[in-house]
Amino acid sequence: MKQLPVETLRPSMRILSDEQVQAIHHAAMEIMTSYGMHVQDEEAVQIFRDAGAFVEKDRVKIPEFLVQDALNSAPSRVVLANQKGERCLFLEEGKTYFGTGSDTIYTIDPETRVRRRVQVNDVGNFARVCDALPNIAFIMSMGNPVDVPSEMVYMYEFAQMVKNSNLPIVFCSDTGKDTEKIWEMAVAVYGGDRQKLEQNPFLLHYVEPVSPLIFNKTSVQKLITSARHNIPISFPSGANAGSGAPITLAGAMAMGIAECLFGLVLSQLVRRGVPFVFGPNVSIMDQKTTVVSYGCPEWALTQGAVTDMGRFYGLPTWSYAGATDSKRVDAQAGIEATFSIFAALACRSNLVHDVGYIEYGTTSSLEQLVMANEIIDMARFFMNGLEVSDNTLALDVIGRNRDRSSFLGDDHTLQNFRTAQWYPKLLDRQNYPAWEKGGSLTMEERLQEEASKILSSHQPDSKPGEVLEKIDNIIAAGI
Amino acid sequence: MADIIKEIHDAVVAYRKDAIVEKVEKAINEGIEARRILHDGFIAAMDVVGEKYSQGDMFIPEMLAAAQSMKLGLEKIKPLLQGEVAAEDSKGVVVIGTVKDDIHDIGKNLVAMMLEGAGFEVHDIGIDNPPENFVAKVKEVNARVLGMSALLTTTMPNMKEAIDVLKDEGLYDKVHVIVGGAPVSQQYADEIGAGGYAADAVAAVEAVKNLLKN
Repeated sequence: MKQLPVETLRPSMRILSDEQVQAIHHAAMEIMTSYGMHVQDEEAVQIFRDAGAFVEKDRVKIPEFLVQDALNSAPSRVVLANQKGERCLFLEEGKTYFGTGSDTIYTIDPETRVRRRVQVNDVGNFARVCDALPNIAFIMSMGNPVDVPSEMVYMYEFAQMVKNSNLPIVFCSDTGKDTEKIWEMAVAVYGGDRQKLEQNPFLLHYVEPVSPLIFNKTSVQKLITSARHNIPISFPSGANAGSGAPITLAGAMAMGIAECLFGLVLSQLVRRGVPFVFGPNVSIMDQKTTVVSYGCPEWALTQGAVTDMGRFYGLPTWSYAGATDSKRVDAQAGIEATFSIFAALACRSNLVHDVGYIEYGTTSSLEQLVMANEIIDMARFFMNGLEVSDNTLALDVIGRNRDRSSFLGDDHTLQNFRTAQWYPKLLDRQNYPAWEKGGSLTMEERLQEEASKILSSHQPDSKPGEVLEKIDNIIAAGI
Repeated sequence: MADIIKEIHDAVVAYRKDAIVEKVEKAINEGIEARRILHDGFIAAMDVVGEKYSQGDMFIPEMLAAAQSMKLGLEKIKPLLQGEVAAEDSKGVVVIGTVKDDIHDIGKNLVAMMLEGAGFEVHDIGIDNPPENFVAKVKEVNARVLGMSALLTTTMPNMKEAIDVLKDEGLYDKVHVIVGGAPVSQQYADEIGAGGYAADAVAAVEAVKNLLKN
């Protein structure tokens, strides 16, 4: 009689127990209701006051029902489309998507390999390489260009991302004003269809409050602008343990969560149902160097914990991985990127950014990005678990080969070798003479080669001329 | 190239074990010479397979399946080849085996398969062979190439022992020796007086071809 198949366990990880989740939530509520937040924008203060918050000068304290209301109206899942309008990122339980990061100061020049300030073309280069990488699902700018007017930096970044990729875009902005312009560009990408953009957004706005507990004017205005257009929002403070937040991770998380939930409440008060991706960035400020680390185990740990908190709140989660504190794409870079990518996948964080950062997020690197693409592939194979079935147990195959010297020539090997094993693209497994014959290339050299190859060969599916023209016109009109 | 020859060629490259025999029979019925099927169909195809493998476009199981396909086809033309093939058509006779005290043979089997695929007549004498076994077989089949395999640093010296016996028997100048296996290197091959070394099965075919050019 036919039997049910054996279920495949997909390895996964929880960081917090239910009790720990409750305790952190209670601490966050205490911060919101008792300490409150400095809201440095009168419009926002009025919105909070009208909704029932307690306001003492510019300090806003939020009763818990406002948080509960906001959690009720915010969608439990956020779906992002690509720039063609195809829904492709389903930020839901069990799904993880990796993408790049935002505003680095430097980048590694793709030709000279020298660290230098970011030019606007670099943003396009990163977008184009991401467009070609199968494990990169969304893009951010990967640098603040210095060769464009400073008040239009984010508009230029957005235009570059539109011109060089069709992936969903997570964008940053300077104020409410350029946010409005970026929204106009996004509407243009959808051929002027505002309603389509509201219903099926291909972009998400990354807005940050300032730790500790400051909701500054520009952040407020950016958030309000996006909420009015129903643009999905993530609102991660940098509640870094030991600088803007307490040195202990639980306290830093509780405070970061309180800051993030303030943003959630405001977004839902501006427009009920605005998609919101939950989670603060809780790394550490290293107490030897004052550097905020992008390779530390603490951030990997808090991001997993934030994901647990997101499950508790019923919101999709924001996360980070694939970055390093190293100045080059070396062994340290590989160790740190692998650690955070593995953790993010194991914890099933939803939207994982900062892939491709080096130098603690100060420099962007195509090599790091290309390497992370491979690490993600490797980690995904692992998380897929170990299928146990008649085919994979292969008892008949063992039987018919028991007197032979190997399983190499068996049809079962031929039929299964592609799925039973993971094949690296850039990690080297050649025998020594073959490796030597190929030029004795190191991993860093192979990454450089691969990045250059993609840059010189990959072209994203092109957009209609009138769309690009409209984008250029918006830029030309200035701000 | 006749269409059917191309079909045979492509069927080997695509490791169509299910289709090869039928195609070879069709070629024979069309009156195509067996040696043409051998050279332009099988051997040319296995050259492509070796090339694809070296480029990373084909994997070991696919390469083996291609060799198996070729073997199935070869069985069909073998009776016809006896009469047709002149001595110069044969690329050469190879004796291959794992050395004394060593029972590892997966790599050696791969080499044997690939050499057959390249058109060599391969005599595989298996594992744990003392020098006398190699010598006896080389004499028996009049081999031009002797391939020896060792996986262990402890059994590797048995390669040298076998070469010494070849010298004693006056065969050393008549047969090309090629060695391989994880601990073996070009340097070691040079040290013990083996004319050839290869790090993997595809490289081994290349190395044997080079030896025979000399």
